[in-house]
Amino acid sequence: MPGQNPVRARNESAWLLPNDGTRTNHRLRRDMRQFADEDEIDLVIVGCGAGGSVLLQRLARDSWKVAALDAGPFWDPDADWVSDEAGSHHLYWTDPRVITGTDPVPMGSNNSGRGVGGSMVHYAGYTPRFHPSDFMTRTLDGVGADWPISYPELRPYYQAIEEELPVAGERWPWGDPHGYPHRPHPVGGNGEVFLRGAARLGITAKAGPVAIANGRFGNRPHCIYRGFCLQGCKVNAKASPLITHVPDALAHGAEVRPDAMVTRIAVDERTGRATGVHYVSHGRERFQKARMVAVAGYSIETPRLLLNSACGRFPDGLCNDFDQVGRYLMVQGAPQTAGRFDAEVRMYKAPPPEVSTEQFYETDPARDAKRGFSIQTVSPLPITWAEHIAAQGHWGRALREYMSDYVHWSCLGALCEFLPLPENRVTLAEEKDRYGLPVARISYSQCDNDRALARAAQSVMEDILHAAGADQVITIQRYAHLVGGARMAADERHGVVDRHGRSFALPNLYITDGSVLPTQGSANPALTIMAVAARTADHLAARASGGTT
Amino acid sequence: MTRLGAAEADGRFPGFDPLNQASHWDQVTAGLIEARVRPPRQVTFFTSAERACAAGLLDDLLGQPRVPVLQMIEARLAAGETDGWRYADMPEDGQAWRDTLGHLDADAKARCGTTFAEVGEADRHHLIQAVQELGAGDWHGLPAGHVWSLWTRYACTAFYAHPFAWAEIGFPGPAYPRGYKNTGVGKLEPFEVHDARPAEDPVREGM
Repeated sequence: MPGQNPVRARNESAWLLPNDGTRTNHRLRRDMRQFADEDEIDLVIVGCGAGGSVLLQRLARDSWKVAALDAGPFWDPDADWVSDEAGSHHLYWTDPRVITGTDPVPMGSNNSGRGVGGSMVHYAGYTPRFHPSDFMTRTLDGVGADWPISYPELRPYYQAIEEELPVAGERWPWGDPHGYPHRPHPVGGNGEVFLRGAARLGITAKAGPVAIANGRFGNRPHCIYRGFCLQGCKVNAKASPLITHVPDALAHGAEVRPDAMVTRIAVDERTGRATGVHYVSHGRERFQKARMVAVAGYSIETPRLLLNSACGRFPDGLCNDFDQVGRYLMVQGAPQTAGRFDAEVRMYKAPPPEVSTEQFYETDPARDAKRGFSIQTVSPLPITWAEHIAAQGHWGRALREYMSDYVHWSCLGALCEFLPLPENRVTLAEEKDRYGLPVARISYSQCDNDRALARAAQSVMEDILHAAGADQVITIQRYAHLVGGARMAADERHGVVDRHGRSFALPNLYITDGSVLPTQGSANPALTIMAVAARTADHLAARASGGTT
Repeated sequence: MTRLGAAEADGRFPGFDPLNQASHWDQVTAGLIEARVRPPRQVTFFTSAERACAAGLLDDLLGQPRVPVLQMIEARLAAGETDGWRYADMPEDGQAWRDTLGHLDADAKARCGTTFAEVGEADRHHLIQAVQELGAGDWHGLPAGHVWSLWTRYACTAFYAHPFAWAEIGFPGPAYPRGYKNTGVGKLEPFEVHDARPAEDPVREGM
């Protein structure tokens, strides 16, 4: 076709969506291939988020018989999502979890999705790459871990995914300098404040990188700058796998099975191979037979599923012979600093993800800590903003008065590279969930390096806001994102999977989500999770064509 | 009488009412918000003693909110709609609410000889302030900071979900499918209202 977008030839998702103002291709879902439980399919994927969906789409294109099971719904943005903060509660994983450690990390809306599209349904939309240094922090900085793969091995996958989402932003000067397929979006009040303050201090800040198409992309319309990115994009402008990979997967014969909670991975103890997954769907216990299993449940549910799949051969949990499952769980320290201006910033207008700086990303010998942080615009809506005000100790009439000042505030957020520590981990609690399974117990404690980075980041954000003209600044301490918990390593004594995502314990069990990341950098993880999954998919496709599986 | 949703006449955004834009909202969102501003269906989670205590606590935490936050929270607890986590040193949210309301009543009895709901405003404030000031300290066997987090999280989530609260802070609420055309510092849509007292900075005053 003349003028056809080159992405379309390898991923037609954006062109498979309707162009009549509705957001879901119902016919594609109605006509979706459906495997029987007793069909031994080539691959069953657990979880249909960032990692699972990319793997599904790639292998469907390679003619695999592949199905992805997700515990949550198959979302229809028109019918299921609202332009409202409180009404978006159902997008989060809200099954019970227990948090502990000296610095417990709240879950739910903060970092955990549910349903097809996963956490990318409610992520802000920032899609930066990791820096080359992130893959070798042990060698370069003496902290964290070296990955068994290097940045150049991931680069082509970053490029491919950036085109498929697609990502909009200025030419990116940090890490491995690169451009983006779409021009940067215009910025709103919050982005203006950030750019002004940074410019006055000589800090480089850039618009992007956000996975929101700038202009029409396939049948996906232009962003309308309504500010509800974190509540699920009803516009189909912000990328999530629900619209970037699932439609193409369905068109190529994949099945997505929603409302299917996988409870256990089955293992044939004689052959030492995974044979499929037990799952619960609409109250019925079922079993999907498969030649290969890929787990993509993210950093809490993936370790939990492995631990809950203990059997005679693996009494301490699947893949856990060396006590590695659930360890090195990471969250980024994410202090948010807000500044007050007499002018009206109205940060709720325009997408929360607008502008970022990675100038402080790498280790700076002048700081008393290794590694670094990034700073980005965040634009909390009223309920989340109330957390900022309540965190200052206000309640009663004082809280109401401070809240009435909302339109005058601008808010920045940092992502600090907190280090992977073995005791930060997922284990099983005694408490059971509605399926009768032990829930996850998540222990998290910071180290001195973590605290030093959070202090440094707060100080830079305060400087930027003051330089922009803020008369007051306030900060809350919080966390963002999750990675690790089943990390990739050179051998089974240091991790759970190898450089391709294949578990050391079972030759036909893969993990393809954020839990395999050995370090987290100061970058939002979605793009890297997708890129790593795309790389695993290439490996599997190559193995299959070589006849070696 | 002002309808519950419009900003009060002496507020910072005179005449501003997010509900005036309801005809521009998509149907699903509009249905949700319209249900939220109707008198709530009474869902029972608390005992009558717990409810009386919770009513006083929420009134005080939110400065007499004129929004049925108690019913909103009770409906949420009855449906088991938690945030998806609990601290290891706290019971699950529903039980934590019951327990802490009981403790608040016990404190009221110890201080004033009667239930929390029946003591005067000054004493209620004193009792609430005492929990906040304990910080990470122990309150009836629970970490006070985690109790404070539970109370304020549920209270603020309910209140700032309501158009009455949006009117008070100048926030227009739902924005689909129309979106925003005038973004940037100082720029307003035709339906937004400027702050009548922009230099009245409560943070500066409070410090």
